[in-house]
Amino acid sequence: MLKYILQRFLRALLSLFIIVTTIFCLLRLMPIEGYLGPNWEKMSKEVIAAKLAAKGLDKPVPAQLFDFYKALFNGDLGKSWIYRENYPITKIIMPKMAVSARLGAMAMALSLLLGIPLGASMARSKGKWPDRMGTAFVVLIQAAPSAIYFLFIQMYATSGTGIPMLYNARAPISWILPIISLALPSIASYGMWMRRYMVDAINQDYVKLARAKGIPERSIMMRHVFRNAFVPMVQLVPSSLLYTIMGSLYVESIYSIPGMGGLLIDVIQRQDNTMVQALVLIFSGVGILGLFLGDVMMALVDPRINLQRKEESR
Amino acid sequence: MEQEVILSVKDLNVKFSLRGRVLHAIRDISLELFKGESLAIVGESGSGKTVLTKNFIGLLDKNGWVDSGEILYGGMNLAGFTTEKEWAQIRGKEIAMVMQDPMTSLNPLKTIGWQIEEALRQHQGLAGSAAKKRAVEILTDVGIPEPERRYKQYPHEFSGGMRQRVVIAIAMACNPKILICDEPTTALDVTIQAQILDLIHDLQKKYRLTTIYITHDLGVVANVADRIAVMYAGDIVEVGTCNEVFYSPQHPYTWALLSSLPQLGVKGEELYSIKGTPPNLFNRIRGDAFAPRNPQALRVDFLHRPPYFEVSPTHKARTWLLDPRAPKVEPPEHIKNIRNLRDEKKEDAQR
Repeated sequence: MLKYILQRFLRALLSLFIIVTTIFCLLRLMPIEGYLGPNWEKMSKEVIAAKLAAKGLDKPVPAQLFDFYKALFNGDLGKSWIYRENYPITKIIMPKMAVSARLGAMAMALSLLLGIPLGASMARSKGKWPDRMGTAFVVLIQAAPSAIYFLFIQMYATSGTGIPMLYNARAPISWILPIISLALPSIASYGMWMRRYMVDAINQDYVKLARAKGIPERSIMMRHVFRNAFVPMVQLVPSSLLYTIMGSLYVESIYSIPGMGGLLIDVIQRQDNTMVQALVLIFSGVGILGLFLGDVMMALVDPRINLQRKEESR
Repeated sequence: MEQEVILSVKDLNVKFSLRGRVLHAIRDISLELFKGESLAIVGESGSGKTVLTKNFIGLLDKNGWVDSGEILYGGMNLAGFTTEKEWAQIRGKEIAMVMQDPMTSLNPLKTIGWQIEEALRQHQGLAGSAAKKRAVEILTDVGIPEPERRYKQYPHEFSGGMRQRVVIAIAMACNPKILICDEPTTALDVTIQAQILDLIHDLQKKYRLTTIYITHDLGVVANVADRIAVMYAGDIVEVGTCNEVFYSPQHPYTWALLSSLPQLGVKGEELYSIKGTPPNLFNRIRGDAFAPRNPQALRVDFLHRPPYFEVSPTHKARTWLLDPRAPKVEPPEHIKNIRNLRDEKKEDAQR
């Protein structure tokens, strides 16, 4: 297992290197006017050259890349160019990420807590009214644009309940609505997948055999159906880790939460290269970590998957 | 020989509701199962073989129900069982089942040992080392080498034949009185089939089991069965000892079924197949269900359902041909050769 983890880790580093280098080079294809600010047409050649030199853009791209990685190895993500000029990137991102991650993690916990039992009870009552209600909920959440029910929640849940309209870091009551809004789509999707995997499991021959050997229905549901349906879920869950730290542009903007939502798009538009590079590095790192955790957890719950053997056969 | 009846089915009718229509799957079946015997139920797909036996352990699909009739076992009427609790005293404990496909019958996430112990815990209250000891014993019983090591393994580490042995081990875990084998060898390699049949046969002798084989493989039947029940369109059309059904079949459907044995084919000629399709059980069946496919059918076959005519105390068939007023219709010539065929097979086996 350790050997496998190490191997996966090295491969993750390689993927990160490729992703970040690609992004780095792509950013160097952007028009240089973007770095100069609004009045670039009136600037003299010397001013422009000085401005570019200050950002290190006058050097050839390989040299710039080398400088970037050198700083990165010293744990320095650099300073923002435009978003908040000359302010260390870590100091910009960290507080934002903390806000998004806290709300995101709570939303994820809530959606697992509600989504999995929802799917399980839908599967158990397949075709009957709890299943139909659940399906209606899933379809509604997945088909309707989220903007609509996010606004509905904000409008109706705040009137007369004492819950404030906007987010306030020091008043946890104001976190409730954003968390619910963030959780709703994943409740629906966890519910849908869980139902599907359980229905698959219910129709398996080993469930029929368990029935034939006289195991009570409740135990069959727990030991054979739920447990087996949970395996593919386990792989699904960690990969949604990424979404918790990325934040949701829409939810964060309607509750004015100072989170990560939309930050990446924003800095790309403003050609804040150092910020883009830092965000891409973090997001892809977390994304790869999520997939990796999914694989490891899957191997832990399913004896058929043997990570070591896979690696030996290669 | 007077035999003790262990299970008896009386005038059983089973119906299914499918897309708003009612399907009459089992039509007035009566059958007695004797203690320690092995009965084979043969018939083509859809004739109701599996549905009949599923009633014995209450595993009928949810859209099916017993319309009328009784299934008597140990002083209880199984046909009247409705709750899980009632079935709990039968399933696994008194009547166990081996299913068709060993590749999918075991839970891939649990060890073999766990899956056997699950039944032991449920019915015998065994746990811990006592359960393990018993599970290893059973694994040894069904001929799995190195049971101690195998006990800890998962189904994917077993071959198909070995898995079927495990499925049989699970069925045997609680010393059932009756073992239903639903096509136990269909999904297996031909070379493994004989081993599994031998195993079931040995277990039957050792534990005085009563076994029911569901199969459409007459070769299997000839090897294992004491008695044969031939099913057609949800009814038992003929029942008798193995010799009686093979050597003096009475029902035209049995003739047709035996004629389709590939071993009876003559080189250069096309193999025999029964023309037409089985009747639609959504419709009401009049007369003898096989009549429309029977070229020698009598007029009465289309009008009235034949009763059972006794050929011998152990042999009866539902066909008007056995009525004293019926014209004499001889069974097809070639199925008389069956005796030679079977004798050859026996000699082969002895060699």
